[in-house]
Amino acid sequence: MRHPGPRSRSWFDRIADPSEKALAWLLLTPAIVFILAIVAYPVSTLLWNSLHDVRLLTAQGARFVGTENFALVMSDGQFWRAVRNTMIIVVVTVPGALVMGLALAMLANMPFKSRGPIRLALLLPWAMPLAFVGLIFAWFFHSEYGIVNDVIQRFGGEPRIWFNSPSLTMMAICIATIWKTSSFMALILLAGLQTIPSSLYEAAEVDGASKWTQFTQITLPLLVPSMLVALIFRTLTAIQSFDIPYSMPGPGEETQTLAMYIHMNAVDYLDVGYSSALAVCMFILSMATTWIYLRYVRSDSK
Amino acid sequence: MNAQMNNVFTAKRLRWFAAAIVLANGFFPALWILLTSFKTEAELTAKPITYWPEMPTVANYIAAFRDQPLPQYLLNSFIVAFGSMIVTLFISSLAAYAIARLNLPRRNLILTTIIAVSMFPLVTLMVPLFEIMRGLNLLNSYWALIFPYTVLSLPICTLVLVSFFQEIPRDLENAAMIDGCTRMGAMWRVVVPLAAPGVFTAGILAFVNSWDEFLLSLSFNSAAAFRTLPVGIQMYQGEHSFPWPTISAALVVAMVPVVIVILIFQERVVSGLTAGGVKG
Repeated sequence: MRHPGPRSRSWFDRIADPSEKALAWLLLTPAIVFILAIVAYPVSTLLWNSLHDVRLLTAQGARFVGTENFALVMSDGQFWRAVRNTMIIVVVTVPGALVMGLALAMLANMPFKSRGPIRLALLLPWAMPLAFVGLIFAWFFHSEYGIVNDVIQRFGGEPRIWFNSPSLTMMAICIATIWKTSSFMALILLAGLQTIPSSLYEAAEVDGASKWTQFTQITLPLLVPSMLVALIFRTLTAIQSFDIPYSMPGPGEETQTLAMYIHMNAVDYLDVGYSSALAVCMFILSMATTWIYLRYVRSDSK
Repeated sequence: MNAQMNNVFTAKRLRWFAAAIVLANGFFPALWILLTSFKTEAELTAKPITYWPEMPTVANYIAAFRDQPLPQYLLNSFIVAFGSMIVTLFISSLAAYAIARLNLPRRNLILTTIIAVSMFPLVTLMVPLFEIMRGLNLLNSYWALIFPYTVLSLPICTLVLVSFFQEIPRDLENAAMIDGCTRMGAMWRVVVPLAAPGVFTAGILAFVNSWDEFLLSLSFNSAAAFRTLPVGIQMYQGEHSFPWPTISAALVVAMVPVVIVILIFQERVVSGLTAGGVKG
């Protein structure tokens, strides 16, 4: 036995070869330190700031105002417009990306000879920065030289001035977001599809089930677990939509999202108190969404 | 027999059709930007628009490098992404080893806590972090991004590494310890090398995460010397001008590194993403 008894271990031995439990906590320490410094501490200052009047532009210190910031948020028309725009993006792009991702996954799951190009076609949108996607789609929807208007005209339609109208801008933003996010969805669903044993389909084939019945009775139910995980993450990131709407601005601030409004108050106006209250509202929105999903998951598994 | 032949033929055609849709969907935007980047300003503003560049030119690439410090942006993005990748890998491999291998009470709770961090809206963290970085005089520095990006990728990297560590047979480690290695020694000499593919996968995910991040970069590093690519690319547009050919050329240059990464490591990236997605 290499280890001498615990009493004869010197302090050097103890550091060089600590007990398993001590080592486990030692190894976890860097992660804990980072989470405390980058998440826990900032969140506590966020909560503190949301109850204070803190403006970095004026030299005066923080002043306790209680829930005044939140009262201001509730009566702030621009906040509600930002919430509405954000919810439109969530409600349109999350199901949109799911349907699109499922379609792409089914197509990519066909028995191709070489999978490389297909895989790349799913990975490229995932790897492309959101800010680039916003710029590229802003160019697609350009009123004069954009390819979207060109195609519309070729089919005899009326070209639109997309970024002059809030609703058309939101449409363009949603299309860009769906394109960007559906490929990640497809990768997750594809992995799920590949775990479904082909014997199930063969048995269904023998029983004379149609392709559609196979899809609704085998594929969809077995994909639900991978779908739910992907949906939670997609919804949480959709609530934070910033890069694409920022790169595809509509008229004025009509298509501002909640994240854009928070950014404007914090970085442009340096109003830390008010933007903190806004951020707390976004946090509550995210937690509520997660809670609804988890509730659904739990009731579903019963 | 004839029906069978017909069936094979349509199945093949269906496959081609499916492949065409997936490929067009994935590659078209990048391809369109590539084509635009070779068009002259005159061709771009001609109507009807052209699809294939009629007089290909590299002038836009020259302009892209002239109008903005593009190499500086590339360098900044690289330093920030690489720096945070190294820090993330260090932290998450230690944590993942403890979770996957050591006798740790409540290991699932610890893993869940680390993953829950990724549920935190980054926008929410942006506000206090902005104030903290301002107080520490870290705005407009690489550290202002490297530290937060580390936490951004910590959950997915830990998850990927835990699943890789769990697949390494315990006997190998025990054998090393019988041969005189300490537990730490066994970890560094046996487990980490065997988990190298996992470390690699986690590293790529962390790199791409940081490479793509926009909000914190825009908020914390406004000086040109520290701007990363996603923010730098936005700087080509003036108050009223939108030099699309130049922007397209800059986008092509900016996309090359990521395209190379996913070209070489595509299988690892997919395995990492789905390990995180399916188990998370």
